[in-house]
Amino acid sequence: MKIKATTFNRVLLGVVLAIALVIPLLIRTNQYNLVLVTTVLLYGVLATAWNIIGGMAGQLDLAAFAYLGLGAFTSGTLLIRWNVSPWIGMILGGLVATGFAVLVGFPLFRFKVREVWYALTSSALVEVLKVAFVMWEDVGGPVERYLPYYSFSLYHMRFGTYIPYYYIMLAILVIALLVNYRIGRSKLGFYLRALGEDEDAAEILGVDARACKLKALMIYAFIVGATGAVYACMYGFIHPSFFSGARSTEVAILGIVGGMGITYGPLLAAVILVSAREFLRASLGGQMESLYLVIYSVVLILIALFRPQGIAVFFQDAYRKLLSRVTGDEHVLKANTPGI
Amino acid sequence: MSSKPILQVSNLTKRFGNLVAVNNVTLQIHEGEIVGLIGPNGAGKTTFFNTITGLYTPDEGRVIFKGEDITGVPPHKICKLGMSRTFQVTKAFTEMTVEETVRVGAYNRHGEDDVMEKVDEVISFCGLEEIRHQKCGDLGLASLRRVELARAMATEPDLLLLDEAGAGLTAAELAELMEILRQLNKEQSVTLCVVEHVMQMVMGLCERIFVLDAGELIAEGTPEEISNNPRVIEAYLGERAIR
Repeated sequence: MKIKATTFNRVLLGVVLAIALVIPLLIRTNQYNLVLVTTVLLYGVLATAWNIIGGMAGQLDLAAFAYLGLGAFTSGTLLIRWNVSPWIGMILGGLVATGFAVLVGFPLFRFKVREVWYALTSSALVEVLKVAFVMWEDVGGPVERYLPYYSFSLYHMRFGTYIPYYYIMLAILVIALLVNYRIGRSKLGFYLRALGEDEDAAEILGVDARACKLKALMIYAFIVGATGAVYACMYGFIHPSFFSGARSTEVAILGIVGGMGITYGPLLAAVILVSAREFLRASLGGQMESLYLVIYSVVLILIALFRPQGIAVFFQDAYRKLLSRVTGDEHVLKANTPGI
Repeated sequence: MSSKPILQVSNLTKRFGNLVAVNNVTLQIHEGEIVGLIGPNGAGKTTFFNTITGLYTPDEGRVIFKGEDITGVPPHKICKLGMSRTFQVTKAFTEMTVEETVRVGAYNRHGEDDVMEKVDEVISFCGLEEIRHQKCGDLGLASLRRVELARAMATEPDLLLLDEAGAGLTAAELAELMEILRQLNKEQSVTLCVVEHVMQMVMGLCERIFVLDAGELIAEGTPEEISNNPRVIEAYLGERAIR
């Protein structure tokens, strides 16, 4: 019996989603593992959002945790000071991050700060914010500010277990993937990919590069900012160390390793690399501190050497072969559209 | 020849430090024409193109396109007004397929609902059906030049500037390209301005030719007039003509 490619895609998508939904129920007693899988999802969200500005528009953004931190501080401060629900804080955090993105992005794109210069500027942004929040004692300061504790309060997004955070993060991930998917097939997506490859050539074809890049940066900042609110609730405090340059760089690495511009690539990279890293840290951390980082780096170098287009391309090829076997249709092997 | 000017360039000057790349150039292109722009290497042809299409801002002078002053206007707005171009060194979107590349151009005048119709039309006009799903990074020079032409055409320009579209092509490929350009000019009444080194193409295609040398416009006329102009022979055809 032959199955249609679209049907097969849907079934596979359903299976993946079902597994994602069941995971926390299987490991519900182990809070450490729950944090782990939620962290994988968190990086999945960040890398997927990064795909819009980094993968599609080709801007090497190294400021993910600047926007995440802004979202976390906005939502956290609102909750601590005025008892505003983090559900509202999510939206406001996203908006603050977006506003900041405009503040930074507008002059950067106006004066054509491109390529390495954009990377350096965005990277500096994280550090600037960290210092600013350490000094701004009304909101930040050098000491952690704890969110009010509730054993289970939906209004305060505070739970005695990590399971709800997992599902919230999963929901955000699904939204981020859908946004990515929609943009990738729209005018904005085509314009971003074009300007990401050659800005002058894109401009000549009618692409307003400045406006498009700013839009991409805003969408990215909003998703990351909103995620920051959940991040703060999950860890139960806000602190300027949230503005982490190293982690921001890691988000970009996941986006690149996953496969620039491929919707599910960054997520795939996050699932594989973040779990591998955490597994290595847990299993090797006892013998030799930081050994896991060496292995992690070697894996990255190997991928860069043998799969420079990203691991998603590798999966895409394998998936096409599987698809052609299942559907008996040779065309899927050649089709340029990704399987999912 | 219709006398309505589509592009009026007056006293255009572009400097890079001490180098005057384009020096006080004044010229007019009329609707429906095919004009050529020739000159030795470094004459300022590409800089002239870049200045007209908004990639560079001119230091002096005006560019009037369809009655509108477009001096210093960003390229994407100039494209919306109806001027597009190709590049001498191809600027391909290497990770995008031919179809996707053309689609970028087609979005200039089409929304999501009818963009693919335009893409299909341009792809068949340029004879790109066989490679439409190939990545541009995998294509050879002849195909790349054609893809560049296709994506510029997809923006539906009234004036199309071609920067050395024939460079590096074989005689057969060149003939094909010239045929496409003639059709484009006749059937879709697109005004063409070609910068060329390949004299065969300029002489066979153009009604009028401008000659640039060291940034200055030194001659203007029909192919016959140009090939008999002593200043042109001296500056451009130079030694080869004398020999």
